Formats: sequence, C-alpha cells, structure tokens
Amino acid sequence: MIEWALIIGFIAAGIRTSAPLMLASLGETIVERGGILNLGIEGAMLIGAFTGFMGAFLTGNLWIGLLMAILGGILTVLVFGILVVRINLDQVVSGLAINLLAAGLCLYFFRLAFSQGAFPYLSELIGPYPIPLLSQIPVIGDVLFNQTIFVYVGIIAVPITYYLIFKTSYGLKLRSVGEDPLVAAYLGIDVSRIRYTALILEGILVGMAGGLLCLSMFNVFDTRIVAARGFVAVSIVILGRWNPVGALAGSLLFGFTEALSLWIGTFLIGPASASISQLLSLLPYLVTLIALLIGGRRVRGPAALGSPFSKE
Amino acid sequence: MQNPLFFLKRSVEGKATTIQADQHPSSEYALYVKGINKTYPNGIVANRDVSVSVMWGEVHAILGENGAGKTTLVKIISGCLKPDSGEIYIDGKKVDIDSPLKAVSLGIGMVHQHFTLIPSFTVAENIALSLPLKGRLSLDHVKEKIKSVSEVLNLKIDPDARIEQLPVGLRQRVEILRLLCQDVKILILDEPTSVLTPIEVEDLFRMIRELKSKGKSIIIITHKVREALAISDRVTIMRGGRVVKTLMTKDSNESELASLVVEGFCPSLKIEHVGRGDPILLVKDLKVKGDRGEIAVKGISLVLHSGEILGMAGVAGNGQKELVEAITGLRRAESGTILIKNCDLTNNPPKSIIRNGVAYIPEDRMRRGVILTMSVSENLVLKNFEDPPYSKGMIMDKGAIERSASELITRFGIKASDPWITVNSLSGGNIQKLVVARELSNGASILIAEQPTAGLDVKASEGVHQKMMELKSKGVGILLVSADLDEIVRLSDRILVIFEGRIVGEFTRDNCDIQKIARLMLGAPV
Repeated sequence: MIEWALIIGFIAAGIRTSAPLMLASLGETIVERGGILNLGIEGAMLIGAFTGFMGAFLTGNLWIGLLMAILGGILTVLVFGILVVRINLDQVVSGLAINLLAAGLCLYFFRLAFSQGAFPYLSELIGPYPIPLLSQIPVIGDVLFNQTIFVYVGIIAVPITYYLIFKTSYGLKLRSVGEDPLVAAYLGIDVSRIRYTALILEGILVGMAGGLLCLSMFNVFDTRIVAARGFVAVSIVILGRWNPVGALAGSLLFGFTEALSLWIGTFLIGPASASISQLLSLLPYLVTLIALLIGGRRVRGPAALGSPFSKE
Repeated sequence: MQNPLFFLKRSVEGKATTIQADQHPSSEYALYVKGINKTYPNGIVANRDVSVSVMWGEVHAILGENGAGKTTLVKIISGCLKPDSGEIYIDGKKVDIDSPLKAVSLGIGMVHQHFTLIPSFTVAENIALSLPLKGRLSLDHVKEKIKSVSEVLNLKIDPDARIEQLPVGLRQRVEILRLLCQDVKILILDEPTSVLTPIEVEDLFRMIRELKSKGKSIIIITHKVREALAISDRVTIMRGGRVVKTLMTKDSNESELASLVVEGFCPSLKIEHVGRGDPILLVKDLKVKGDRGEIAVKGISLVLHSGEILGMAGVAGNGQKELVEAITGLRRAESGTILIKNCDLTNNPPKSIIRNGVAYIPEDRMRRGVILTMSVSENLVLKNFEDPPYSKGMIMDKGAIERSASELITRFGIKASDPWITVNSLSGGNIQKLVVARELSNGASILIAEQPTAGLDVKASEGVHQKMMELKSKGVGILLVSADLDEIVRLSDRILVIFEGRIVGEFTRDNCDIQKIARLMLGAPV
C-alpha cells in the first residue's frame, strides 16, 4: 500500500531530522546537570559543521570530516569552559560571545578558503547504514534500523547518558556540583574537573551534531546552517526536565514537526506554495515555544545552574 | 620542645594526672589545640593565643558571644580555615589540617550552622557524596552502611527520604550521621540548637549523650549559657578572641558563666505589661498559597492591639512565612481580609502597606532585609529615600542621608567604620542591627518581627528586645514570629500557636504553659 510506505517514510524522516537535536540536547543535559548553562552550543555546532565540512572537502573522506567535526566541537566548548570555569565569567554572556565568535570565524575562514562566487560542495554524504538482519524487520526495520550512524549514536547515547548521570559516582558528583558547588567542594569534590569532563562530553556530542548537518543532511556549508538548532536543544533540555529520556522525547517532537512541515510542503502546488512552505518551516519553532509554555512551567532545574563558582 | 600540655594541667586538673615533661600530649586527649592565632585579611583579630583540650568521651562546650571567635576556632580545627600560627594534636600526635577532607580523614568532622547537604538529593545520595566512590554508584552499599551506623546509635532515618522533605532537626541528624559514616570520632557542632524546636533540642541532647557513651568526643559551640550547662562536661568561655577560662560544668552555675561570657553582664530588660489599646491589625479568614501552590495559610484570623506584643509560636514551615508575607503585601492572599487601622489593605502593594505604618523585620535578613552590595547609609533610607529631607524632588541629598545614617549607627550601636561602606562587609549581627534600626526608626505603628534575634548575641538580642519594649510602651503593636520559644514567652502579652496553617492554641500570660505550647507546635494532642 502506498499510504503505508508514505507513513513509514515520514516516521523515518522524523527520526532522521531529530538526530542533531538528540545529540546536542544530550550534551547540554550533561553540562546543565553540572550547573553550566552553555548557550554557546549554537556556536559549537557551527564550528563542528565547518570543521567537518572542511575536513571532508579537503581530504575527500567523510569520516575524517566527522572526526574534525568532533574535534571542532570539543575545542569550542573547551574555550567556553575556560571562560566560565577558569575565569568565572558570566555563563550567558560567554555563551553568546562564543556564538558571535564562531559565526565570525567560520565566515572568515570560509572566505579565506574559497573565492567569492565559488560553490564548494561535497560529492557524497554519510548515508543510511542498514543494520544487517534488524533492518529486514518490516516497518521497525525501515524506521529504526535503516538510519545513519548519527541516529544510532543519538539513540544509544540516551541510555548511556542516563546511566552516567544517575547510576555512576561521576553522575552523583556531577549533579552535586550542579546543585551546590560550594558544598561539593567542601566534600572534597574537584568542581572544575567534573565540569571540564562534562564539557568535553558535550563537545563530542555537539560537534557530531554540527558535523551531521554538513556531512549527512546538506552537502554544503553556510554560516546559517545550524538555524538555531542549538538554542532549540537548550529549550529541549528544559522541556525534558534535565533527563536524557525527556531530551529524546523533546528532540523527537521537534524533529517530527520539522519533518511534517517539509512533508506537507511537498503536497503544495500553485503560486503561493513557496511562501506557504516558508511559513511552514516556522512550525517546529512554534511547537517548541508552545511545548515550553505548557511543559516548561514550574520545572526546577539544577539549583546552581548558570551561577558562577569560585572557592573564595 | 616545650611540653604542649604545660598550660593545660591547670584547667583540667583532676583528670589529667601524670604527664611527664617532654612527652607528647597523651592519647587521653582526643583533641588538643595550642596557641592558635588568626587575623582575617580585613584586620579583625578573631583568635588570640587560643588553647583548648578535649578528652575522649567528653562533651566540651565552647561558650561565648557572637564575634568571640568560637566559629573561627572550630573552622580552623575542621580544616576550613588556616591559622596564622598554632598547633593541633589529635590523639597525642601533631597534625597539619589543611582541608575539611584532611580533618575528616583524621577523625574530626563539623556540622556547620548552614548545613552542607544537597536538598534535592536523598539521604543516601548525600552520604554517598562524602564517601570515596568510583565507577558504578551502588547506593545499596551506602544504605547498608547508614543502617549499621544508625542502628548502633538508635537514629531513625529513612535513607531514601529527600533532604528537602525533612524537618530541620532531621537534616541535622543526617549531617551527624554522615560524619559517623566517615568514621569521625570528634564531632564539632556549631550552634546546633539555633534552628531547633525545644523538643528537637531534647532529641539532639539525647543523641549527644549517646555518642558520648560510645566514646566519641563532642565539641558544641553555643552562645546560650543554659545549653552549655545542660549538656557539657567542661566549658571553655571565649571573649574577644581569647579563652577566658575553662571549667568543669558541674562546678559552675548560670550567673558565673553569664558574667564570664559578657564581662559584668546582668540582664536589665524590664518587661512591662501595659494595658493594650485599640485593635490596629485585623486579619480575617486569611487563606494564602505557598510556593508550590499548596494552601499554606488555611483560614487564619487574628487581632493585634496597639501596645501589645503578640507572639506567634510555631515550627518553621507551618504557614508563618506566608502569613507574614500576605500581611506585608509580598504575597497574594487568596481570600480573607487584612485591616490595618480599619483600612482594608488586602493585596495592596508593599509600598502602600509601608506608608500605612507597617514595619517589617524579615527572617531572611541577608536577602530581604538589606541590599548587600549597597552602603549602610543607602540601606538605612531604603524605605523613605523619596521623602524629604532625603530627597528634594528627584535629587537625593547625600548630606541628609549621611547625617541620619550616622545618627542611627550611633543610636543602635552598629559597628560600621564608615556610613558609606557596603553592607556585606558587616557581620551578621550588625546587619540585623541595621535592619532593626531602619524599621524601628520610621515611626511605624505596627511591627512585624520575624526571628528578630536569631543569630544575635546576648547583648545585641537584649538591645533588640529593649527597643521592642520601648515601641510597645509608645503604643506600637508588635507581631513577633519566632521559633525561639523562650523569647516568645518572655516578651509576649499573648501567644498564638500555629500548626499546618491554622491557629491551634491561644495563651495569655496568665495561662501560659510552655510544655503545652511545645506540644501544640508539633501538632501533638494536648
């Protein structure tokens, strides 16, 4: 039946569009559990996308691109980490500064690398990797097991992150640092070390999320490529109540709305279709806003989230 | 090396028997501190040549006013502060304590006035944090440890309870339990009773005796003479950063200790009970919601007359805060009326309530009472800076503000070197004096006082009480909300007991029964 195939295709697309948000929001969940609000995640994703694109473009190897994306993500998040953990600057201001810096740097180096009017693109993308046997299962196989590596990593990262936060001693320390860093330090916990570790984990996930955009979704780079997905990830963390499972749900909500708006767009015909599909692309952001209004009220995050910490 | 015990022999005579010269302090002494000096960077000398000894199985009280240097001393012993000079011996061995962690590894642990627990964590999680853990978190192990330690001491604590759901008395117990799980042998309790109800204090003292019988040493910091008498074996009195004297508790008495704590102190407060005047504050059927949307005040009616002190006794968290906030306009009342001098001011903004003569001494003085980063002078005119003489039109008159501030600083004895220094450089007691000075000096006819003497020393408390009496004789009506039952009983003309958002008892001076009030506060049947 044709309808069946359409619906399966739609669900698979929804999961695919959720992948960058899963990765980014899981990373952000980890650092926010440790009391750090990283609004620079948008910039870190952009740097990841850029280094990923450049790596793949220059070497012709997509996997080297992915590695570069991860390194770019870690590096950007660590710069943010030095600002807020070491120098104790305001987290919100530092995050926004990182975003501006990232946009500027990417534009500069992109222009430096390619002449005006050039249109560099990758000749291939990281495509779906069907998992042997599992992908043969009807429906579920197509939806879950015929996806890109990014989807697999995003989904597997949910239970791993959950285990890390709630079932390991590192997680307990991380949460204590997010609740009350002074008490944690008093009990002999190295607050900075815990926070840097969390930031590196976030860097890996966020770098992947950024790289995904260039390596698996679009085959070109543009400084607007992240399109506020980083900020959406931050709101997904709130929506998901600082829980990896919640972050997964929030990412799917956003991803499916995005897929839906694209899907509806393909059915539009006529002179107004272009402007309507533009309007439809607002849908995911609107849904995020509404979901935050409904689900984001009276939620309590880590008590020390966003507040600077110094031992003095 | 001079025998560090040399100076001690006098103070612990009878217990310290044969100590050879040039020997290390014997292991009879659990803890033994010699010649501690500490000067803070701002020049305040907190400890001058302080020496104290604590034996195994002893309850040792350190008694003194605020600012006497007690907390500084125990912070040094517990590794939170570094002394400028001095030596510490544990079990006869000289030690170097450079962090709280090191102190714990040496067997010394401290329960701070501000608890070091994470409210959203469970008991087990909080205790797990302080234990050396790696890899997978196995809370079952921690729970077993909690169980075995608490059974020995007959402490009843549910390891899965969240700290934020526990009453303060139990939180304190968790702090103590955590130290015991860390194998601490010398426990330091800093002002442990200041947050407790009378019945919780009894529980705490019972626990201290239990610990003592198990051979632990307990150092208890207090500014209350009666507490030192009730619980300790020996008491060290500190004043102005020095040790005044160490003596056997059983050989001493209240008046001797009081006169040592405050040189030549004798309580001078005259409690007068003048006839009350007309009602000035009327609260009818007031219902107020708490922070989490629950009904915290469940229909309270009360009347306050001019020239009357109305005490409100209750364990914190039973709706007092919400009631006071509704009266002062800080929180919306769901239903009911608040009449101030026959004016319906229900749900009016705080400003109009202040203008109608309501003064307010908030419990959380650091956040509600002052703006820490502003100067003393500015804080003193916070409620009337828009009025002449402090402002002319839109322009503030710095001179007038400074004159008024200097006058209040002298009149209320606020220790501030300059009227323009910021409030966060003052001590807690002085900040309270500042709040009291501001609230009591602007001609209010109603005073809402929440825990007005919490954390203040004897002299400062006496000063606040004195002022309240003065106001009362001038016809001001005072609503005194306090967890300190002694204070309520001493000052109030009438006492209301609040429990779970309702008034559950009313007492006058003639039928006042402390035991009964204490039971009502806990919701126990009378």
